[in-house]
Amino acid sequence: MKKERLSGLFLRISLTMALIVTLSVMSGTTAQSAEETINIGFLAALSGPDAGWGLPGITGNQIFIDRVNAEGGLLVGGKRYKLKMYKFDDEAIGSKALQGARQLVLEHDVKFISAIGGNPADATHPFLTKKKVFYATLISTDIMPDRPYLIGGGDVTPRIDMLRPLYHKINNPELKRWAVTSQDDTIGKTCQAWEVGSAIAEGWDIVYDKHFSGETEDFAPVVTAILATKPDVVSLNLTYPTYVTLIIEQLYLQGFKGIISANYIDTESVMQKVPIEYMEATKCANSFPLFDDPWWGEPSWQHDFIKEWNAKYGPGTPGDVHRKITGIDWDHVIMLKLWAHGAQLAGSFDPDAILKALRSAPSIPTILGPGVMYGKEMWGIDNMISPPVPIAEVKADCKCKRIQAHLRFEQWFESRKDTIIKVVKDKGQYYDQRK
Amino acid sequence: MELTTFIQTIANSVVSGSIYATVAVGLALAFGVMQMANHAHGEFFMLGAYVVYVFYALGGMPFPLAVLAAIPTIAALGLLTERLIFRPTRGNVLAGFMATAGLTWILQTAAGRIWGLGFMKMIPTPYMGSANIAGAQIGLQRVLIVPAACILLGFLWFFLHRVRLGKGLRACAQDPEAAALQGISINKMTALAMGIAGAYAGVAGALMAPIHAVTPYMGRDLLITAFIVVIVGGMASIEGAVLAAFLLGFIHTFVTTIFDATSAVMVGVAFMAFILIVKPTGLMGRVKA
Repeated sequence: MKKERLSGLFLRISLTMALIVTLSVMSGTTAQSAEETINIGFLAALSGPDAGWGLPGITGNQIFIDRVNAEGGLLVGGKRYKLKMYKFDDEAIGSKALQGARQLVLEHDVKFISAIGGNPADATHPFLTKKKVFYATLISTDIMPDRPYLIGGGDVTPRIDMLRPLYHKINNPELKRWAVTSQDDTIGKTCQAWEVGSAIAEGWDIVYDKHFSGETEDFAPVVTAILATKPDVVSLNLTYPTYVTLIIEQLYLQGFKGIISANYIDTESVMQKVPIEYMEATKCANSFPLFDDPWWGEPSWQHDFIKEWNAKYGPGTPGDVHRKITGIDWDHVIMLKLWAHGAQLAGSFDPDAILKALRSAPSIPTILGPGVMYGKEMWGIDNMISPPVPIAEVKADCKCKRIQAHLRFEQWFESRKDTIIKVVKDKGQYYDQRK
Repeated sequence: MELTTFIQTIANSVVSGSIYATVAVGLALAFGVMQMANHAHGEFFMLGAYVVYVFYALGGMPFPLAVLAAIPTIAALGLLTERLIFRPTRGNVLAGFMATAGLTWILQTAAGRIWGLGFMKMIPTPYMGSANIAGAQIGLQRVLIVPAACILLGFLWFFLHRVRLGKGLRACAQDPEAAALQGISINKMTALAMGIAGAYAGVAGALMAPIHAVTPYMGRDLLITAFIVVIVGGMASIEGAVLAAFLLGFIHTFVTTIFDATSAVMVGVAFMAFILIVKPTGLMGRVKA
């Protein structure tokens, strides 16, 4: 009797253990097959006057996300994670950006936010710093030591504005007179200060260094004032593309024959106002290269991106956005790709681990070429990715711009930084002066 | 300032004054004369530019015809605004102003939804190149604005002073009750004023589409300039608005050339404040702003 009871007990224990083992194996299998998703945010002007800097960026980010998800997800720490994007329209207003940041972080637990920057960066950084969420700005001047998770540099501003004086000096050593203007907003003033410092460091005489009001409707007097200083180069620094078109039109109409240089020139818009031969003669040097430029080679990430963009968002497609691809379509994705790469290097989505991994990497692949985390002497913290800067000129044969040079920034800056930083400080635009 | 720069600045000032006058004259009629403070005047201007974008840049219609198409289109919008907003709020300038502020946002959003947001619309310059006028280089498209402004302003002056309907409109502005007793319909006159104001804003936007950044928000900054012109000129004076437009054009252009464009905005507003302190009725007005 006792023996029977013992064998019954043994049987029950065995069955229970078998059940536990089966359940634990099953639950383990379930956990392994469950799809884990990491959310990212897109917090930028999707409507209003600044939408041109934000809205198109959604397409590039979505293409990247679709590619990653098609491969099964982002491989981090031996596991694959699907990516999902949530959007919020901040209309470039600080208070709305903070509302958006809260929603994206608290409701959707986003780990990374693509943004334009500027006032929204100022408004959101205390909250995002507390929550340890990455905020990727298009405007490197947003980077500050007290914003440890704010990263930038995917957009070439202001490195392009600092390298253009070097580029033109190399190509035209006989030229001397540099005129520069941009709108009188915070970013215009800061970027122009960095450009003026760089131009002085390269031996240019600054003959015009002023800003125009963002409300300017008529650029004829602005251009008359610039031309009165008899410049060899007219640089438009970070002047917004719409103003760039109108200023170049005036330069053409008022007979300027020197070199035109800018952060970004929307070639097609300018061509509506100015003969392409004039644009070629004055170089119209700028960055934000076209991704169908043969310079990238075949096959290339850039050419594939164009093909994919046209297939998803081009004319006649279900996602037709009724416009051509712009530089902003790929401008935001540089930083998203950087963050994803950082997570893979770190094997974790922990932001401190990602930053540490990125900063210790000797070379980081980016859309514009291999880069390094840099910027301590410009912004007080190494939170700027610094890939090579492409410089393009307008060519009449293709009626488009074509890359002419691909310049590295860090070594050049190291050799010129004392002069440049002194000028920036004299203008009150160094990071610790703008707090 | 060198002589060539001086001549260029004079020429720039004349063009700038013509632009301001063309934009502001419609507002001067609606607001200054008929007390209809149309906050959406800048958006009427914007829609005039979009008419050119649609018919000329997209549709391939000749530029002059596209400009003409803007006149009835935006005049109709003016009539609609009078009927739906200004007539119900008559006697309360602020109510009309606030209601049309709402209309501003509706029109901006609608334009953004229909034609897209982002950078400026691509509108080819119909008359590329420049004219050399006494050593000054002025774009042909901008040269065109000067005679166009003269014709538009001359026509309005003729209409208000020589045509019976125009005289009736002025009578309504001076004393609505007395005008009504003479058999003049106030409703018809306010509708007429808004129709003309719309047509003028529309044609101004259409003419300037190739030289202006065409976006849904292009009217926003122009509205402030237009109000400054109307107030400085004198609330009920078309002639005053024209004078103020040219004065502002000269001040703005010279300050920009000699100093910078940011200072020019400040000086322009300071000029308005100075005029209103010295002469509260404006340059040629008879009623206080």
